[in-house]
Amino acid sequence: MVSVPSSSTPTFTPSTPSTWHIFCKVVDNFGDIGVCWRLACQLATRGKTVRLWVDDVSALAWMAPNGYPNVTVMDCAQGMPQAPNGAAWWNWDDIFIDTFGCDLAIDLIALQAIITPSIGQYDYINSPKQPVWLNLEHLTAESFAERNHTLPTIHREGAATGWTKHYFYPGFNEQTGGLLRETDLLARQQVFDRGAWLGQLLPLKQLAFDPNTRYISLFCYEPQALEALINQIANSQTPTCLLVTAGRAAAAVKAVLEHQTRLQPAYSLPVLLSIVYLDALTQNDYDHLLWSCDLNFVRGEDSLVRAIWAGKPFVWHIYQQDDGVHHAKLEAFLRMMEAPDSLKTMHRAWNVNATLDAAPPLPTLDLAQWGQSAMALRQKLLAQQDLCSQLIDYAGSVQEKRLKS
Amino acid sequence: MALKIAQELRAGNVVMQGKDPMIVLKTEYARGGRGAATVRLKLKGLINNFNTELVFRADDKFEQIVLDKKECTYSYFAEPMYVCMDAEYNQYEVEAENMGDALNYLEDGMELEVCFYEGKAISVEIPTSVQRVIEWTEPAVKGDTSGKVLKPAKLATGFEIGVPIFVAQGDKVEIDTRTGEYRKRV
Repeated sequence: MVSVPSSSTPTFTPSTPSTWHIFCKVVDNFGDIGVCWRLACQLATRGKTVRLWVDDVSALAWMAPNGYPNVTVMDCAQGMPQAPNGAAWWNWDDIFIDTFGCDLAIDLIALQAIITPSIGQYDYINSPKQPVWLNLEHLTAESFAERNHTLPTIHREGAATGWTKHYFYPGFNEQTGGLLRETDLLARQQVFDRGAWLGQLLPLKQLAFDPNTRYISLFCYEPQALEALINQIANSQTPTCLLVTAGRAAAAVKAVLEHQTRLQPAYSLPVLLSIVYLDALTQNDYDHLLWSCDLNFVRGEDSLVRAIWAGKPFVWHIYQQDDGVHHAKLEAFLRMMEAPDSLKTMHRAWNVNATLDAAPPLPTLDLAQWGQSAMALRQKLLAQQDLCSQLIDYAGSVQEKRLKS
Repeated sequence: MALKIAQELRAGNVVMQGKDPMIVLKTEYARGGRGAATVRLKLKGLINNFNTELVFRADDKFEQIVLDKKECTYSYFAEPMYVCMDAEYNQYEVEAENMGDALNYLEDGMELEVCFYEGKAISVEIPTSVQRVIEWTEPAVKGDTSGKVLKPAKLATGFEIGVPIFVAQGDKVEIDTRTGEYRKRV
């Protein structure tokens, strides 16, 4: 069965043995749904039946327009839909994954508790019968991820009071759950033809692929240092093409250029710099963009992981939090990566908070050194078991333990 | 009983977990992405002495058992017990395991509260902030006063905290004992 993302109410299919239910609340941007969709596809590739419950399916229309076999998208924007004829959406041997603490699974449990009252009064203490329930957390290199990884929590209220949920932390070492990585990633990369891909993309924007041009992809929020970056690459002697992703990055670049024009009414881009505004890309094509470019600016969690697998120099724009805790997260990442000093400086400048911090100068782009660092990181992390495999193993071990107890 | 959220729990508190009274041995607060925070709790059952580690959301609610407390000072360690003394020179012994995070900041004569459950001294509570000297850290870096970039530093107990890069060895700093985080240089 191929399920195409749709905003309509999904067709009812009974839960097959050990269906994986992924729950996703889209808070802002595309990171949540991006990670969830990748995970759903990777579980399906490994033979699992997956239901992706999501409260905003709209991004899937451009992110994954063709759907994926054995992944059914369940639109729960209006709450959890009733299964027809009082049937059950889930079985006891299913696996629930709440992503990023979204807590949507409890709504599905509560819905079924109404249909099947015994669930609400379920005696969890005296029976091992309980779905495996995991909370897939945010990606961080901070050490608490290792300490909290796979620790249980006890649900404290509502229909699932007393049920156990396990925290599952993605991460960058063997003490964590690893990173999402497709089984065919390396094979895809080996046959990828950069020239051919850019040669198809650029003519759509009235440009031709030039192997002597430096290509830089830009996926960011609104970094204060963006203007300095554009000035730096505009004033360099290297022909550069800035490939700007749709949405906030494109708006940010346009705002910078408008600012330049206000300052100098005769302003125009130097001949050695071209700026291309991309349409929204599918997940596969975003990978192709990262593999094609000489430098990638990425943001949030999902594209960071994709940039790591690309093995090209990258600069991460971290999701900013009002109280500044993202600084610790960024520093932990740079330590884990053993980033060279110039790359650390670049990250700190790129992640300056526009309202709170003074802008440090942007260092010169050192693609040779940053590229070595990116390749070393990629090699190190390729040796680690991927997140999806670890999730399957872990869920299996919890099920087995419960059956034995 | 009193209601507390996980973020407010501290080593030495006793909470109900299911039907079991459990003493909090250790807490670790962590900020995840997008403002979500968790608290890792190391707990020990007061009835069955069973140890367990659990993670909760920072705003998960707990029923806390209100314990009798007495103001004391820390006197000495007689393995495996830590001995505290009140103003009348009565001594109370607390198991090392139950001292929790207090061990990170413990020094002779430190003021703390000894907590009693059914008449037995079971734990201690320490002030929410303490001032301690930095015994070791890498040399200070002048210039960055933002406090955003942290480096590791050790206290006399060996406990490691993150301090801004301008903090030097020998500096006295204020630490939030609930989170183990640096607050300011004093």
